[in-house]
Amino acid sequence: MAEKFLPFEGLRVCDFSWYAASPVATKCLADFGAQVIKIESSTRPDLIRVAAPHPVGKEDDLNAGGWFNNQNSSKLCLGLNLGHPRAREVYDRLILVSDIVWENFSPRVKERLGLEYEHYVKLKPDIIWVDQPMQGLTGPDKYAAGFGALITPLGGLSYLSGFAHRPPVGTGTNYTDYVINCGQLLVAVLAALRQLKLTGKGRHIVMSQYASAVSALETAILDYTVNKRIPAREGNRTAMAAPHGCYRCKGEDRNYTYTARLGMAEGRKDDRWCVIAVFNDDEWQAFCDVIGKPSWTKDPKFSTLLNRKENEDELDRMVEQWTIEHSPEEVMMLMQQAGVAAGVVQDAEDILLRDPHIKARGYYVYLDHSVVGRSAYDGIAYKLSETPGQLSRAAPRIGEHTEYVCKEILGMSESEINEYLTESVLEVG
Amino acid sequence: MTEPETLLGDIRVLDLADQKGVYCAKLLADLGADTIKIEPPGGDPMRRIGPFFHDEPEAEKSLYWFQFNTSKRSITLNLQSADGCEILKRLAKTADVIVETFPPGHLDEIGLGYSVLQELSPRLVLTSITPFGQTGPHRDFKSSDLIAQAMGGLMYLAGFPDDPPYKIYGSQAYHSASVQAAVGTLVALYARELTGRGQHVDVSLQESVLMAQETAVPTYDMRKVVRRRVAAEAPLIPGSGLYPCRDGHIFAGVVAGAGAGWDVIIEWLDCEGMAGDLKDPKWRETFQLMGDIRALVALARDPLALAARLADFAHINEILGTFMKSHTKGEIYRGAVAKRVMMVPVQSPKDILESPQLEALGYFVNVKHDELGMNLKYPGAPCYYISDAPWRISRRAPLIGEHNLEIYEGELGFSKVKLAALKQAGVV
Repeated sequence: MAEKFLPFEGLRVCDFSWYAASPVATKCLADFGAQVIKIESSTRPDLIRVAAPHPVGKEDDLNAGGWFNNQNSSKLCLGLNLGHPRAREVYDRLILVSDIVWENFSPRVKERLGLEYEHYVKLKPDIIWVDQPMQGLTGPDKYAAGFGALITPLGGLSYLSGFAHRPPVGTGTNYTDYVINCGQLLVAVLAALRQLKLTGKGRHIVMSQYASAVSALETAILDYTVNKRIPAREGNRTAMAAPHGCYRCKGEDRNYTYTARLGMAEGRKDDRWCVIAVFNDDEWQAFCDVIGKPSWTKDPKFSTLLNRKENEDELDRMVEQWTIEHSPEEVMMLMQQAGVAAGVVQDAEDILLRDPHIKARGYYVYLDHSVVGRSAYDGIAYKLSETPGQLSRAAPRIGEHTEYVCKEILGMSESEINEYLTESVLEVG
Repeated sequence: MTEPETLLGDIRVLDLADQKGVYCAKLLADLGADTIKIEPPGGDPMRRIGPFFHDEPEAEKSLYWFQFNTSKRSITLNLQSADGCEILKRLAKTADVIVETFPPGHLDEIGLGYSVLQELSPRLVLTSITPFGQTGPHRDFKSSDLIAQAMGGLMYLAGFPDDPPYKIYGSQAYHSASVQAAVGTLVALYARELTGRGQHVDVSLQESVLMAQETAVPTYDMRKVVRRRVAAEAPLIPGSGLYPCRDGHIFAGVVAGAGAGWDVIIEWLDCEGMAGDLKDPKWRETFQLMGDIRALVALARDPLALAARLADFAHINEILGTFMKSHTKGEIYRGAVAKRVMMVPVQSPKDILESPQLEALGYFVNVKHDELGMNLKYPGAPCYYISDAPWRISRRAPLIGEHNLEIYEGELGFSKVKLAALKQAGVV
């Protein structure tokens, strides 16, 4: 893989972004060879560095955060204190030698830092400038404070996800940050980058994370504008299949540690589940064969899809009577051999260590980090046959590449760098 | 070279995708790519997916079809026939990208495998979206959105500890895979401009959602702790979680270390005479802790210290909860926006459509449906602004084979007689 061609080699990204949605996007550029220079300082770190997890004993080390590290492979870090009045002298120079500038601050911070496309495009006409605010750079709510966790309820996914008898607690993670909002922005940026290559023209691209998240609602908007209907929260069900659900399976006879409401808990590994999806009558017959055709499967109230939908609560109870006797892996293998879609509700242990398929495809990449040691990183979710990209280095420490960036890229003299260091404009880490 | 009015105006996409990849082609089409949807004669099975326009279940009234096929053209073509495959080869020579979602190996079986396509057109990018990808022991497993959200680890994280895990609304594994595939396709197109050669982009539904597990894998990797769903009916730490209000729910995320702090929130409550005893100096230390993200992260690691705070937290939550219950979603949100407090309403599609912010961005767009005699209001582009090259819906989704004449006659030069013969043979 190392000898493969990295298509973005030679491109430079001046990356002011923090938290999740933008850093996950610039990770793509870095993993495919762009020189992505992240700007932060220990005074004003990317706050995701503070959040768990950290390795045991390194809980307070900003350079050891697993959340941050996972999203920042292959990047460099310039230790620059954006709160310092002289910081602009440095980032002005970096912007002018970059192909892409990327920021996702609140418009208030962006205005204070003077990070305005309209200013820099006069100095560098072919710049690609990317803003990814929460709400937008215009509009009545542009200054509203927010982050990924607020986008899920604001953007509609919380309202529509989960079980009807429960309040709309959301999606478990800040889902839209990791694929939807970073990915959709990348689609625009990559298309613009290709045009830059072909025509030399730069672009200004702005995403409202709120608006982008709404585009993940599929038909919910049209269903309302056309039919004035708001879909109910239907948990794991769908009109097109039954059984179609998540069923409890046999637990494992061992203990494990898991996250709970009050931090962590230890207990028997019995929170094990499978999913099964039966779309048509052939699959229903195959499903019945696998579970040994118990008498209830012959009951007319389960004989057709419509009947099964009508009696779905009872159907799900009967299905679970069978799954509870089996491990989720057994359920998956038995069903799949019979041509029925089924899977394990995998937890992180399953995914990182036990799923033979993820391992065979080599999705997770282990990288050595000077503070953390060897740790797992999310790899690249699109396998390109000729230019697959590579995670070329572990996430940077704050200021790890300050000297390199200042000397080699900005051409600063030793004394200039020292002056900035003495004044705490720059930081080496 | 003349400047295209769109970012992908010089790109042609053939869309052979089902639900797994239809959004990938839409993303490219709305960015200006000439995207041709290839439907089997009689219409694409996706046209049977609801909801439907005025609940009339007809092939030309599926809102699912409308939503995901904007800006595309449509031709009918039977890929189960030898003639159909030959026609596809001719079209492939004119294309930059093919998006497909057949089971791995199927294209090879019908003589349209990547090696064949590459020989026809070395610059072609073939993007394949499948449940588990083109390789690996599970590559032939059956799947669906539910299976992919489960196998990709998303489901295990969503919901209440005493409920079964649930999937995220809609078909988010399909949606995510389509977004990932569009990104991969554009990386491949960029690389093509350097090397002159296209490539095969292999996207798996399962892998597409792995990143969205957030900290689950790093948490297991670093701590050997399995992250499990922890949702609860009411928040534990004040300002972090769901509060019922008069007409719905408010989600608060005050603990994040950005936005306004507790002084602003208490002042807000006090203005309305609802701060209870929270202005008493005895609470100062508690609010200080609650405003310090590092202290809170440390507290979450220390069950004993956390337990010692629970009574205080419950008291603050009660006062905050009473305040919420006496207001509507809209009232809380207007206040929160003005004061930069991190609280938002849990919005329904109706709320979203009434959002003044989205209105100001011009997010929703009216799309003309002549056959229905009206415009329908659609969700718009993911990026509301791209200089000189807007991301936008250029036309409503196509009717079945709407562009057969345009493409078969106009472009491929088929005579009316030949087209009639192909139609009788069930090819188009």
